[in-house]
Amino acid sequence: MSDLVWLSMAELGRMVATKEVSPVEVARAHLDRIAALDARLRAFITVCAESALEAARAAEADLMAGKITGPLHGVPWAPKDLYSTKGIRTTGGSKILAESVPSKDATVVSRLSQAGAVVLGKLNMHEFAYGPEGLNAHYGDARNPWDGSAHRIAGGSSSGSGVAVAAGLAPGSLGSDTGGSIRIPASLCGITGLKPTYGRVSRAGVLPLSWSMDHVGPMARTARDCALILGAIAGYDPDDPTTSVLPVPDYAAALGGEVKGLRVGLLRAHFTDVATPEVRAAVEVAARRLEQAGAVVDEVNLTQIDHVAAASSAIVASEAVAYHAGWMRTRAQDYQPDVRERLRIGAFVSGAHYVRAQQVRALVRREVDEALAKRDVLLGPATPIAAPVLGERDATLGDGPSDVRSALIRLTRPINFSGHPACAAPCGVTASGLPIGLQIVGRPFDEATVLRVIDAYQRLTDWHTRRPAVA
Amino acid sequence: MLAPMEITVETLQRLARLGGFAWTDAELEAIRPGVLRLLEMLERLESVPLDAIEPTTQYRML
Repeated sequence: MSDLVWLSMAELGRMVATKEVSPVEVARAHLDRIAALDARLRAFITVCAESALEAARAAEADLMAGKITGPLHGVPWAPKDLYSTKGIRTTGGSKILAESVPSKDATVVSRLSQAGAVVLGKLNMHEFAYGPEGLNAHYGDARNPWDGSAHRIAGGSSSGSGVAVAAGLAPGSLGSDTGGSIRIPASLCGITGLKPTYGRVSRAGVLPLSWSMDHVGPMARTARDCALILGAIAGYDPDDPTTSVLPVPDYAAALGGEVKGLRVGLLRAHFTDVATPEVRAAVEVAARRLEQAGAVVDEVNLTQIDHVAAASSAIVASEAVAYHAGWMRTRAQDYQPDVRERLRIGAFVSGAHYVRAQQVRALVRREVDEALAKRDVLLGPATPIAAPVLGERDATLGDGPSDVRSALIRLTRPINFSGHPACAAPCGVTASGLPIGLQIVGRPFDEATVLRVIDAYQRLTDWHTRRPAVA
Repeated sequence: MLAPMEITVETLQRLARLGGFAWTDAELEAIRPGVLRLLEMLERLESVPLDAIEPTTQYRML
Protein backbone atom coordinates (compact mmCIF):
# COMPACT_ATOMS: atom_id res chain seq x y z
CA MET A 1 0.00 0.00 0.00
CA SER A 2 1.35 3.40 -0.97
CA ASP A 3 2.97 5.57 1.71
CA LEU A 4 1.28 8.54 0.06
CA VAL A 5 -1.86 7.81 2.08
CA TRP A 6 -0.02 8.54 5.34
CA LEU A 7 1.31 11.93 4.29
CA SER A 8 -0.35 15.02 5.70
CA MET A 9 -2.30 17.40 3.48
CA ALA A 10 0.48 19.95 3.98
CA GLU A 11 3.13 17.46 2.79
CA LEU A 12 1.01 16.30 -0.14
CA GLY A 13 0.38 19.91 -1.16
CA ARG A 14 4.09 20.68 -1.03
CA MET A 15 4.99 17.58 -3.07
CA VAL A 16 2.32 18.39 -5.66
CA ALA A 17 3.54 21.99 -5.92
CA THR A 18 7.14 20.89 -6.42
CA LYS A 19 6.02 18.19 -8.88
CA GLU A 20 7.50 15.40 -6.75
CA VAL A 21 4.16 13.66 -7.05
CA SER A 22 1.22 14.01 -9.39
CA PRO A 23 -2.29 14.80 -8.06
CA VAL A 24 -3.50 11.79 -10.10
CA GLU A 25 -1.02 9.51 -8.34
CA VAL A 26 -2.17 10.84 -4.95
CA ALA A 27 -5.87 10.40 -5.77
CA ARG A 28 -5.22 6.85 -7.11
CA ALA A 29 -3.35 5.86 -3.95
CA HIS A 30 -6.31 6.89 -1.81
CA LEU A 31 -8.90 5.32 -4.14
CA ASP A 32 -6.93 2.04 -4.10
CA ARG A 33 -6.91 2.06 -0.31
CA ILE A 34 -10.64 2.80 -0.19
CA ALA A 35 -11.23 -0.13 -2.55
CA ALA A 36 -9.13 -2.40 -0.35
CA LEU A 37 -10.50 -1.45 3.07
CA ASP A 38 -13.82 0.28 2.90
CA ALA A 39 -16.03 -2.79 2.59
CA ARG A 40 -14.91 -3.52 6.13
CA LEU A 41 -14.65 0.01 7.54
CA ARG A 42 -17.75 1.51 5.89
CA ALA A 43 -16.34 5.03 6.02
CA PHE A 44 -17.84 6.02 2.65
CA ILE A 45 -21.46 6.21 1.54
CA THR A 46 -20.46 7.20 -2.00
CA VAL A 47 -17.02 6.86 -3.62
CA CYS A 48 -16.46 9.25 -6.54
CA ALA A 49 -13.53 7.55 -8.25
CA GLU A 50 -14.21 8.87 -11.73
CA SER A 51 -14.84 12.50 -10.79
CA ALA A 52 -11.92 12.43 -8.34
CA LEU A 53 -9.52 11.31 -11.06
CA GLU A 54 -10.96 13.87 -13.44
CA ALA A 55 -10.45 16.65 -10.85
CA ALA A 56 -6.93 15.37 -10.15
CA ARG A 57 -6.11 15.43 -13.88
CA ALA A 58 -7.42 19.01 -14.08
CA ALA A 59 -5.25 19.96 -11.08
CA GLU A 60 -2.27 18.39 -12.81
CA ALA A 61 -2.97 20.25 -16.06
CA ASP A 62 -3.19 23.55 -14.15
CA LEU A 63 0.08 22.77 -12.43
CA MET A 64 1.78 22.05 -15.74
CA ALA A 65 0.42 25.35 -17.06
CA GLY A 66 2.00 27.12 -14.09
CA LYS A 67 -1.30 27.72 -12.30
CA ILE A 68 -1.29 26.68 -8.66
CA THR A 69 -4.15 27.65 -6.40
CA GLY A 70 -2.43 27.25 -3.02
CA PRO A 71 -1.32 24.67 -0.45
CA LEU A 72 -4.26 22.33 -1.10
CA HIS A 73 -3.83 22.21 -4.88
CA GLY A 74 -4.34 18.61 -6.00
CA VAL A 75 -4.81 17.33 -2.43
CA PRO A 76 -7.68 14.87 -1.87
CA TRP A 77 -10.31 15.12 0.83
CA ALA A 78 -13.84 13.86 1.53
CA PRO A 79 -16.84 15.60 3.12
CA LYS A 80 -19.37 14.10 5.50
CA ASP A 81 -22.44 13.24 3.45
CA LEU A 82 -24.47 16.22 4.60
CA TYR A 83 -22.56 18.76 2.51
CA SER A 84 -24.29 19.52 -0.78
CA THR A 85 -22.13 18.44 -3.69
CA LYS A 86 -23.19 19.41 -7.18
CA GLY A 87 -24.03 16.31 -9.20
CA ILE A 88 -23.11 13.91 -6.37
CA ARG A 89 -25.87 12.51 -4.17
CA THR A 90 -26.06 13.97 -0.67
CA THR A 91 -27.93 11.56 1.57
CA GLY A 92 -27.46 12.94 5.08
CA GLY A 93 -26.98 9.26 5.88
CA SER A 94 -30.69 8.77 5.29
CA LYS A 95 -33.01 6.66 3.20
CA ILE A 96 -35.19 9.74 2.72
CA LEU A 97 -32.48 11.58 0.75
CA ALA A 98 -30.90 8.47 -0.78
CA GLU A 99 -31.42 9.76 -4.32
CA SER A 100 -31.06 13.49 -3.63
CA VAL A 101 -28.57 15.10 -6.01
CA PRO A 102 -27.91 18.81 -5.32
CA SER A 103 -27.56 21.27 -8.16
CA LYS A 104 -25.07 23.38 -6.23
CA ASP A 105 -22.10 22.84 -3.91
CA ALA A 106 -22.23 23.92 -0.28
CA THR A 107 -20.21 27.12 0.15
CA VAL A 108 -17.37 25.33 1.94
CA VAL A 109 -17.18 22.57 -0.69
CA SER A 110 -17.01 25.22 -3.37
CA ARG A 111 -14.25 27.06 -1.47
CA LEU A 112 -12.17 23.89 -1.14
CA SER A 113 -12.63 23.16 -4.86
CA GLN A 114 -11.48 26.69 -5.65
CA ALA A 115 -8.44 25.95 -3.47
CA GLY A 116 -7.69 23.00 -5.77
CA ALA A 117 -8.69 20.17 -3.41
CA VAL A 118 -10.09 16.95 -4.90
CA VAL A 119 -13.26 15.25 -3.54
CA LEU A 120 -12.81 11.46 -3.16
CA GLY A 121 -16.37 10.72 -2.08
CA LYS A 122 -18.98 11.29 0.60
CA LEU A 123 -18.57 9.98 4.12
CA ASN A 124 -20.77 7.96 6.43
CA MET A 125 -22.51 9.52 9.41
CA HIS A 126 -25.21 8.99 12.00
CA GLU A 127 -28.49 9.48 10.14
CA PHE A 128 -29.16 13.23 9.76
CA ALA A 129 -26.28 13.83 12.24
CA TYR A 130 -28.59 13.02 15.14
CA GLY A 131 -26.47 10.72 17.30
CA PRO A 132 -22.97 10.66 18.86
CA GLU A 133 -22.30 6.99 18.18
CA GLY A 134 -22.00 7.37 14.41
CA LEU A 135 -24.39 4.51 13.63
CA ASN A 136 -26.23 4.10 10.37
CA ALA A 137 -28.95 1.54 9.68
CA HIS A 138 -29.12 2.35 5.96
CA TYR A 139 -25.47 2.33 4.87
CA GLY A 140 -23.92 0.23 7.65
CA ASP A 141 -22.11 1.26 10.83
CA ALA A 142 -18.68 2.78 10.32
CA ARG A 143 -16.10 0.72 12.15
CA ASN A 144 -13.40 2.16 14.38
CA PRO A 145 -10.07 1.13 12.79
CA TRP A 146 -8.24 0.90 16.12
CA ASP A 147 -9.60 -2.52 17.02
CA GLY A 148 -8.94 -5.31 14.54
CA SER A 149 -11.13 -7.84 16.35
CA ALA A 150 -14.08 -6.21 18.13
CA HIS A 151 -16.41 -3.84 16.26
CA ARG A 152 -16.01 -0.57 18.15
CA ILE A 153 -17.93 2.56 17.29
CA ALA A 154 -16.15 5.41 15.56
CA GLY A 155 -18.12 8.10 17.37
CA GLY A 156 -20.38 10.51 15.62
CA SER A 157 -22.08 11.87 14.09
CA SER A 158 -19.14 12.36 11.66
CA SER A 159 -18.15 8.69 11.97
CA GLY A 160 -17.04 8.20 8.38
CA SER A 161 -14.81 11.27 8.63
CA GLY A 162 -13.13 9.89 11.76
CA VAL A 163 -12.56 6.47 10.21
CA ALA A 164 -11.46 7.68 6.77
CA VAL A 165 -8.85 10.07 8.15
CA ALA A 166 -7.59 7.65 10.83
CA ALA A 167 -7.29 4.73 8.41
CA GLY A 168 -5.57 6.64 5.61
CA LEU A 169 -8.54 6.59 3.23
CA ALA A 170 -8.57 10.40 3.06
CA PRO A 171 -6.06 12.85 4.53
CA GLY A 172 -8.75 15.36 5.54
CA SER A 173 -12.46 15.85 5.86
CA LEU A 174 -15.16 18.29 6.83
CA GLY A 175 -17.39 17.16 9.66
CA SER A 176 -20.20 18.98 11.40
CA ASP A 177 -20.57 19.42 15.14
CA THR A 178 -23.87 20.02 16.97
CA GLY A 179 -23.06 18.32 20.28
CA GLY A 180 -19.54 17.12 19.56
CA SER A 181 -19.85 15.43 16.18
CA ILE A 182 -16.40 16.55 15.00
CA ARG A 183 -14.59 16.19 18.34
CA ILE A 184 -16.13 12.86 19.43
CA PRO A 185 -15.00 10.85 16.36
CA ALA A 186 -11.69 12.73 16.43
CA SER A 187 -11.21 11.57 20.02
CA LEU A 188 -12.35 7.98 19.43
CA CYS A 189 -10.42 7.58 16.16
CA GLY A 190 -7.20 9.34 17.23
CA ILE A 191 -7.27 12.29 14.84
CA THR A 192 -7.49 16.09 15.09
CA GLY A 193 -10.84 17.84 14.68
CA LEU A 194 -11.71 21.52 15.05
CA LYS A 195 -15.11 22.99 15.79
CA PRO A 196 -14.65 26.68 14.94
CA THR A 197 -16.50 29.55 16.60
CA TYR A 198 -20.16 29.75 15.64
CA GLY A 199 -20.23 32.16 12.70
CA ARG A 200 -16.65 31.58 11.56
CA VAL A 201 -17.57 29.09 8.81
CA SER A 202 -20.59 29.11 6.51
CA ARG A 203 -23.30 26.49 6.97
CA ALA A 204 -24.92 27.29 3.62
CA GLY A 205 -25.64 24.08 1.73
CA VAL A 206 -25.09 21.90 4.80
CA LEU A 207 -28.09 19.83 5.99
CA PRO A 208 -29.05 21.24 9.38
CA LEU A 209 -29.65 19.35 12.59
CA SER A 210 -30.01 22.37 14.89
CA TRP A 211 -29.44 25.76 13.27
CA SER A 212 -28.17 27.50 16.40
CA MET A 213 -25.91 24.64 17.52
CA ASP A 214 -24.47 23.37 14.21
CA HIS A 215 -20.82 24.12 13.44
CA VAL A 216 -18.83 23.18 10.35
CA GLY A 217 -15.15 22.32 10.67
CA PRO A 218 -12.09 20.37 9.55
CA MET A 219 -10.93 16.90 10.56
CA ALA A 220 -7.41 15.76 9.69
CA ARG A 221 -4.39 14.10 11.25
CA THR A 222 -2.62 17.29 12.34
CA ALA A 223 -3.39 20.79 13.59
CA ARG A 224 -1.52 22.15 10.56
CA ASP A 225 -3.86 20.38 8.15
CA CYS A 226 -6.88 21.67 10.08
CA ALA A 227 -5.38 25.16 9.78
CA LEU A 228 -5.01 24.77 6.00
CA ILE A 229 -8.61 23.62 5.58
CA LEU A 230 -9.97 26.30 7.92
CA GLY A 231 -8.04 28.97 6.03
CA ALA A 232 -9.75 27.87 2.82
CA ILE A 233 -13.32 27.68 4.16
CA ALA A 234 -13.61 30.41 6.84
CA GLY A 235 -15.10 33.84 6.32
CA TYR A 236 -18.27 35.75 5.56
CA ASP A 237 -20.80 34.18 3.23
CA PRO A 238 -23.85 36.11 2.03
CA ASP A 239 -25.68 32.77 1.83
CA ASP A 240 -25.31 32.28 5.60
CA PRO A 241 -26.36 35.42 7.51
CA THR A 242 -24.83 34.08 10.74
CA THR A 243 -21.30 34.23 9.34
CA SER A 244 -19.00 36.90 10.71
CA VAL A 245 -17.42 39.67 8.66
CA LEU A 246 -14.24 39.49 10.76
CA PRO A 247 -11.17 39.02 8.55
CA VAL A 248 -9.79 35.49 8.28
CA PRO A 249 -6.24 35.21 9.62
CA ASP A 250 -3.58 33.03 8.03
CA TYR A 251 -4.06 30.10 10.42
CA ALA A 252 -1.17 28.06 9.03
CA ALA A 253 1.23 30.99 9.36
CA ALA A 254 0.24 31.36 13.03
CA LEU A 255 1.55 27.85 13.80
CA GLY A 256 5.04 26.87 14.80
CA GLY A 257 5.36 29.10 17.83
CA GLU A 258 6.04 28.14 21.41
CA VAL A 259 3.53 27.92 24.25
CA LYS A 260 5.84 29.68 26.69
CA GLY A 261 3.82 32.08 28.82
CA LEU A 262 0.50 30.89 27.41
CA ARG A 263 -2.16 30.65 30.14
CA VAL A 264 -3.93 27.29 30.11
CA GLY A 265 -6.88 26.48 32.38
CA LEU A 266 -7.28 22.77 33.14
CA LEU A 267 -11.03 22.14 33.28
CA ARG A 268 -11.54 20.14 36.47
CA ALA A 269 -15.13 19.78 37.73
CA HIS A 270 -17.57 18.42 35.12
CA PHE A 271 -14.69 17.74 32.69
CA THR A 272 -11.41 16.07 33.66
CA ASP A 273 -12.82 14.82 36.96
CA VAL A 274 -15.66 12.89 35.32
CA ALA A 275 -13.42 11.02 32.87
CA THR A 276 -12.33 7.42 33.37
CA PRO A 277 -8.99 7.08 35.22
CA GLU A 278 -7.06 6.36 32.00
CA VAL A 279 -8.48 9.41 30.21
CA ARG A 280 -8.02 11.63 33.24
CA ALA A 281 -4.38 10.56 33.63
CA ALA A 282 -3.61 11.16 29.93
CA VAL A 283 -5.11 14.67 30.01
CA GLU A 284 -3.23 15.54 33.19
CA VAL A 285 0.02 14.35 31.59
CA ALA A 286 -0.77 16.54 28.54
CA ALA A 287 -1.29 19.54 30.83
CA ARG A 288 2.06 18.85 32.49
CA ARG A 289 3.72 18.51 29.08
CA LEU A 290 2.48 21.98 28.12
CA GLU A 291 3.60 23.28 31.51
CA GLN A 292 7.09 21.85 30.97
CA ALA A 293 7.12 23.68 27.64
CA GLY A 294 6.50 26.98 29.44
CA ALA A 295 2.71 27.29 29.58
CA VAL A 296 1.23 28.58 32.82
CA VAL A 297 -1.37 26.00 33.87
CA ASP A 298 -4.02 26.51 36.54
CA GLU A 299 -7.31 24.79 37.31
CA VAL A 300 -10.81 25.99 36.36
CA ASN A 301 -14.22 24.88 37.58
CA LEU A 302 -17.22 25.82 35.46
CA THR A 303 -20.22 25.58 37.75
CA GLN A 304 -23.06 26.23 35.29
CA ILE A 305 -22.21 23.19 33.15
CA ASP A 306 -24.68 21.15 35.23
CA HIS A 307 -27.56 22.76 33.34
CA VAL A 308 -26.20 22.17 29.84
CA ALA A 309 -27.62 18.69 29.25
CA ALA A 310 -31.23 19.77 29.83
CA ALA A 311 -31.00 23.12 28.08
CA SER A 312 -29.11 21.96 25.01
CA SER A 313 -31.43 18.95 24.65
CA ALA A 314 -34.40 21.34 24.58
CA ILE A 315 -32.78 23.47 21.88
CA VAL A 316 -31.53 20.65 19.65
CA ALA A 317 -34.73 18.60 19.99
CA SER A 318 -36.95 21.60 19.14
CA GLU A 319 -34.88 22.78 16.18
CA ALA A 320 -34.45 19.24 14.83
CA VAL A 321 -38.15 18.40 14.90
CA ALA A 322 -38.94 21.76 13.31
CA TYR A 323 -36.66 20.92 10.36
CA HIS A 324 -37.91 17.33 10.08
CA ALA A 325 -41.62 17.98 10.76
CA GLY A 326 -42.70 17.43 7.15
CA TRP A 327 -40.94 14.08 6.77
CA MET A 328 -41.98 13.04 10.30
CA ARG A 329 -45.59 13.43 9.16
CA THR A 330 -45.22 11.54 5.90
CA ARG A 331 -42.12 9.30 6.09
CA ALA A 332 -41.53 8.56 9.77
CA GLN A 333 -41.01 4.86 8.96
CA ASP A 334 -38.00 5.73 6.81
CA TYR A 335 -35.92 7.04 9.73
CA GLN A 336 -33.70 4.66 11.68
CA PRO A 337 -35.37 3.90 15.05
CA ASP A 338 -33.14 5.90 17.42
CA VAL A 339 -33.34 9.04 15.27
CA ARG A 340 -37.10 8.72 14.82
CA GLU A 341 -37.49 8.43 18.60
CA ARG A 342 -35.35 11.51 19.31
CA LEU A 343 -37.27 13.53 16.74
CA ARG A 344 -40.61 12.50 18.23
CA ILE A 345 -39.52 13.48 21.73
CA GLY A 346 -38.66 16.96 20.41
CA ALA A 347 -42.30 17.56 19.58
CA PHE A 348 -43.07 17.81 23.31
CA VAL A 349 -40.69 20.65 24.19
CA SER A 350 -42.64 23.87 24.70
CA GLY A 351 -41.78 27.36 23.56
CA ALA A 352 -41.25 28.36 27.19
CA HIS A 353 -38.75 25.50 27.63
CA TYR A 354 -36.91 26.64 24.52
CA VAL A 355 -36.60 30.23 25.70
CA ARG A 356 -35.52 29.16 29.19
CA ALA A 357 -32.84 27.02 27.55
CA GLN A 358 -31.64 30.09 25.66
CA GLN A 359 -31.38 31.95 28.98
CA VAL A 360 -29.23 29.12 30.35
CA ARG A 361 -27.14 29.42 27.23
CA ALA A 362 -26.41 33.07 28.02
CA LEU A 363 -25.37 32.05 31.53
CA VAL A 364 -23.02 29.30 30.32
CA ARG A 365 -21.51 31.44 27.59
CA ARG A 366 -20.80 34.19 30.09
CA GLU A 367 -19.09 31.74 32.43
CA VAL A 368 -16.86 30.34 29.65
CA ASP A 369 -16.06 33.92 28.53
CA GLU A 370 -15.07 34.80 32.11
CA ALA A 371 -12.81 31.76 32.41
CA LEU A 372 -11.13 32.77 29.15
CA ALA A 373 -10.76 36.40 30.18
CA LYS A 374 -7.91 35.31 32.47
CA ARG A 375 -6.56 32.55 30.25
CA ASP A 376 -5.72 31.97 26.59
CA VAL A 377 -7.24 28.49 26.35
CA LEU A 378 -8.97 25.86 28.44
CA LEU A 379 -7.93 22.19 28.41
CA GLY A 380 -9.89 19.05 29.21
CA PRO A 381 -10.75 15.65 27.77
CA ALA A 382 -12.75 15.56 24.53
CA THR A 383 -14.60 12.44 25.59
CA PRO A 384 -14.57 10.88 29.07
CA ILE A 385 -14.25 7.37 27.60
CA ALA A 386 -12.43 5.68 24.73
CA ALA A 387 -14.30 3.94 21.89
CA PRO A 388 -16.97 1.54 23.21
CA VAL A 389 -17.78 -1.78 21.56
CA LEU A 390 -20.82 -1.59 19.26
CA GLY A 391 -23.93 -2.21 21.36
CA GLU A 392 -22.28 -1.35 24.69
CA ARG A 393 -24.84 0.70 26.59
CA ASP A 394 -23.28 1.58 29.93
CA ALA A 395 -20.13 3.37 31.02
CA THR A 396 -18.66 4.14 34.42
CA LEU A 397 -17.43 7.70 34.73
CA GLY A 398 -15.57 9.50 37.48
CA ASP A 399 -18.86 10.55 39.06
CA GLY A 400 -20.81 7.34 38.58
CA PRO A 401 -22.63 5.29 35.96
CA SER A 402 -23.81 6.78 32.69
CA ASP A 403 -25.33 5.56 29.47
CA VAL A 404 -22.79 5.57 26.63
CA ARG A 405 -24.63 8.17 24.55
CA SER A 406 -24.72 10.73 27.37
CA ALA A 407 -21.10 10.01 28.22
CA LEU A 408 -19.95 10.62 24.63
CA ILE A 409 -21.47 14.11 24.36
CA ARG A 410 -21.01 15.22 27.93
CA LEU A 411 -17.74 17.15 27.53
CA THR A 412 -18.21 18.47 24.00
CA ARG A 413 -21.84 19.68 24.10
CA PRO A 414 -21.20 22.57 26.52
CA ILE A 415 -18.95 24.17 23.91
CA ASN A 416 -21.57 23.93 21.16
CA PHE A 417 -23.88 25.57 23.62
CA SER A 418 -21.45 28.42 24.26
CA GLY A 419 -20.24 28.65 20.64
CA HIS A 420 -16.51 28.90 21.49
CA PRO A 421 -13.91 27.26 19.22
CA ALA A 422 -12.63 23.86 20.38
CA CYS A 423 -10.23 21.33 18.96
CA ALA A 424 -9.83 17.65 19.83
CA ALA A 425 -6.54 15.83 19.33
CA PRO A 426 -4.99 12.55 20.47
CA CYS A 427 -3.08 12.61 23.79
CA GLY A 428 -2.58 8.95 24.67
CA VAL A 429 -3.87 5.41 24.39
CA THR A 430 -5.70 3.15 26.83
CA ALA A 431 -4.25 -0.15 28.08
CA SER A 432 -6.09 -1.83 25.20
CA GLY A 433 -4.55 0.51 22.66
CA LEU A 434 -7.51 2.81 21.98
CA PRO A 435 -6.94 6.54 21.39
CA ILE A 436 -7.63 9.13 24.10
CA GLY A 437 -8.49 12.66 23.03
CA LEU A 438 -7.96 16.02 24.69
CA GLN A 439 -9.88 19.18 23.92
CA ILE A 440 -8.60 22.76 23.75
CA VAL A 441 -11.21 25.54 24.01
CA GLY A 442 -10.40 29.09 22.94
CA ARG A 443 -11.82 32.59 22.89
CA PRO A 444 -14.43 33.42 20.25
CA PHE A 445 -12.82 33.73 16.80
CA ASP A 446 -9.39 32.84 18.20
CA GLU A 447 -9.02 29.54 16.36
CA ALA A 448 -5.42 30.57 15.65
CA THR A 449 -4.43 30.19 19.32
CA VAL A 450 -6.35 26.92 19.69
CA LEU A 451 -4.55 25.47 16.67
CA ARG A 452 -1.22 26.90 17.82
CA VAL A 453 -1.51 25.04 21.14
CA ILE A 454 -2.45 21.74 19.44
CA ASP A 455 0.35 22.21 16.90
CA ALA A 456 2.86 22.87 19.68
CA TYR A 457 1.61 19.79 21.54
CA GLN A 458 1.96 17.71 18.36
CA ARG A 459 5.55 18.87 17.99
CA LEU A 460 6.22 17.79 21.59
CA THR A 461 4.52 14.38 21.32
CA ASP A 462 3.88 11.68 18.72
CA TRP A 463 0.33 10.52 19.55
CA HIS A 464 -0.99 11.99 16.30
CA THR A 465 1.47 9.92 14.24
CA ARG A 466 0.28 6.52 15.50
CA ARG A 467 -1.56 4.31 13.06
CA PRO A 468 -4.58 2.14 13.82
CA ALA A 469 -4.75 -1.67 13.82
CA VAL A 470 -6.33 -2.04 10.39
CA ALA A 471 -3.53 0.02 8.84
CA MET B 1 -46.51 26.50 40.57
CA LEU B 2 -49.10 23.91 39.58
CA ALA B 3 -48.65 20.34 40.73
CA PRO B 4 -46.96 18.27 38.03
CA MET B 5 -49.53 16.59 35.79
CA GLU B 6 -49.39 12.97 34.83
CA ILE B 7 -48.15 12.53 31.28
CA THR B 8 -50.23 9.73 29.84
CA VAL B 9 -50.34 8.43 26.30
CA GLU B 10 -53.60 10.36 25.92
CA THR B 11 -51.85 13.58 26.92
CA LEU B 12 -49.10 12.89 24.40
CA GLN B 13 -51.68 12.04 21.77
CA ARG B 14 -53.38 15.44 22.20
CA LEU B 15 -50.09 17.34 22.16
CA ALA B 16 -48.84 15.42 19.11
CA ARG B 17 -52.05 16.24 17.24
CA LEU B 18 -51.65 19.91 18.15
CA GLY B 19 -48.25 19.71 16.47
CA GLY B 20 -49.80 18.09 13.41
CA PHE B 21 -48.42 14.60 14.11
CA ALA B 22 -50.63 11.52 13.88
CA TRP B 23 -48.72 8.93 15.91
CA THR B 24 -50.22 5.72 17.25
CA ASP B 25 -50.64 4.96 20.95
CA ALA B 26 -47.97 2.29 20.65
CA GLU B 27 -45.53 4.76 19.10
CA LEU B 28 -46.24 7.28 21.83
CA GLU B 29 -45.97 4.68 24.60
CA ALA B 30 -42.51 3.81 23.28
CA ILE B 31 -41.26 7.40 23.62
CA ARG B 32 -43.14 8.23 26.84
CA PRO B 33 -40.16 7.39 29.14
CA GLY B 34 -37.90 9.62 27.03
CA VAL B 35 -40.40 12.49 27.10
CA LEU B 36 -40.75 12.14 30.88
CA ARG B 37 -36.97 12.15 31.35
CA LEU B 38 -36.58 15.30 29.24
CA LEU B 39 -39.45 17.13 30.93
CA GLU B 40 -38.05 16.24 34.36
CA MET B 41 -34.66 17.62 33.34
CA LEU B 42 -36.28 20.79 32.02
CA GLU B 43 -38.29 21.18 35.21
CA ARG B 44 -35.04 21.33 37.16
CA LEU B 45 -34.07 24.41 35.14
CA GLU B 46 -36.93 26.22 36.89
CA SER B 47 -34.72 26.49 39.97
CA VAL B 48 -31.91 28.28 38.09
CA PRO B 49 -32.05 32.04 38.75
CA LEU B 50 -32.52 33.35 35.23
CA ASP B 51 -34.95 36.25 35.64
CA ALA B 52 -32.31 38.89 34.97
CA ILE B 53 -30.84 37.06 32.00
CA GLU B 54 -32.04 37.76 28.52
CA PRO B 55 -32.26 34.68 26.31
CA THR B 56 -29.46 34.56 23.84
CA THR B 57 -29.27 33.33 20.32
CA GLN B 58 -26.04 31.95 19.02
CA TYR B 59 -25.20 34.86 16.80
CA ARG B 60 -22.11 36.89 17.60
CA MET B 61 -22.47 39.42 14.82
CA LEU B 62 -18.95 40.68 14.38
